[in-house]
Amino acid sequence: MSYQLHRISVLVVEDNEPMLEIVKSLLHTFGVGHVIGAPDGEVGFSRFCEYNPDIVIADWMMKPMDGMTFTRLIRNDERSPNTYVPVILMTGFSEKRRVLQARDAGVTEFLVKPFDARDLYKRIAQVIERPRQFVRSGDFFGPDRRRKRDAEKSGNYGGPMRRDTDTAETTKSRIIDQKNDAYEALRKIREKNGLAKGDKFDINPDDIDFA
Amino acid sequence: MSKEPDHFNQTPRRKAEFIRPPNTLKAKVGSGGLSEEILNKAQTLLENNAAEFGPLADLYFTSLMRGVEMARLDQAPDDNENVIAHIIYPAMQLKANGGMFHYQLVTRAADKLIQFLEVIEKPDEEALEIVVAFLTTIRAIVNSKITGDGGRHGRDLIDALNHACMRYFEKHPGQRKDIDFDYIHKVDDQTP
Repeated sequence: MSYQLHRISVLVVEDNEPMLEIVKSLLHTFGVGHVIGAPDGEVGFSRFCEYNPDIVIADWMMKPMDGMTFTRLIRNDERSPNTYVPVILMTGFSEKRRVLQARDAGVTEFLVKPFDARDLYKRIAQVIERPRQFVRSGDFFGPDRRRKRDAEKSGNYGGPMRRDTDTAETTKSRIIDQKNDAYEALRKIREKNGLAKGDKFDINPDDIDFA
Repeated sequence: MSKEPDHFNQTPRRKAEFIRPPNTLKAKVGSGGLSEEILNKAQTLLENNAAEFGPLADLYFTSLMRGVEMARLDQAPDDNENVIAHIIYPAMQLKANGGMFHYQLVTRAADKLIQFLEVIEKPDEEALEIVVAFLTTIRAIVNSKITGDGGRHGRDLIDALNHACMRYFEKHPGQRKDIDFDYIHKVDDQTP
């Protein structure tokens, strides 16, 4: 059984025509059912409103409207048919501050150019398998910029205390829980294989009960 | 309503509403990923892409040279960032697109150029000469159709450009800035 990508549509917004064709061809090869192209953010947004695609892939630097402004429109404009749509931003920039800028605009994933077919596939698989929860906070609306398992589980993020739902106690108890889980997983492996404490062994993910 | 911070130098904590939208995408596509066969086919398609990079690169070269000329005309600009932005934009396009069209050496050289542009304080004549050296080198790579990483010759070219940047910083130690600027939104005339 594999992904039924023929059931989805993807909008690709890219001002560089040969590049647009490359991305469209890759998506067709992946089996995507409907690939829509647009040469800039302005046209891209009108096609987004028209087709309501399942995934958006956009270049960062475009005229007259760049990928960041386009993403903000998707997230915040009242005409947007789906403010939660995953947006994958393509760019040559890879510096951390650029990633942060993109996250602040509401981008879901970042795809650094040049990329290969697997890089593109990984981003698509990421938005399918690990969708981000969304946050509405002050003047920001978009995917949670801090992807944490804890946040996904409970809605409480355990990182730096910047939100009033964050508490040091939850952070501490989460770390203790994780440590206890790890000890328990090791104990089960030792028990199953008749090993004593201190015996060395290779960890096989299949031996760990992640539940 | 935000809670009061303990100190005025603290950012007030924000009320955050967490929303978990339904995963309609997953519901549509199901599970299982894509097979290696499909991924290999896609990769082969990318590797066999025969689109010409030359015409596209020419547009970026022109844009880059225009940025250099603008910088030369305005040697005491009010806004150095804005001047640099006009050079960094086409450089970024060369970096991003070179490798997509089999010119990995263009990507490497343009990446070095961006690194240089992101740390210089102002685009003085010596800095601009280095930019032109990068431009000349990258143009030669494209015109000679040197695809791939260029092998040993490619490494030598990158080393030479790198050394030129290092010599510049040795000569002008105060010309290295450590502040993050937002060049991207400074560009008002991007080509193409």
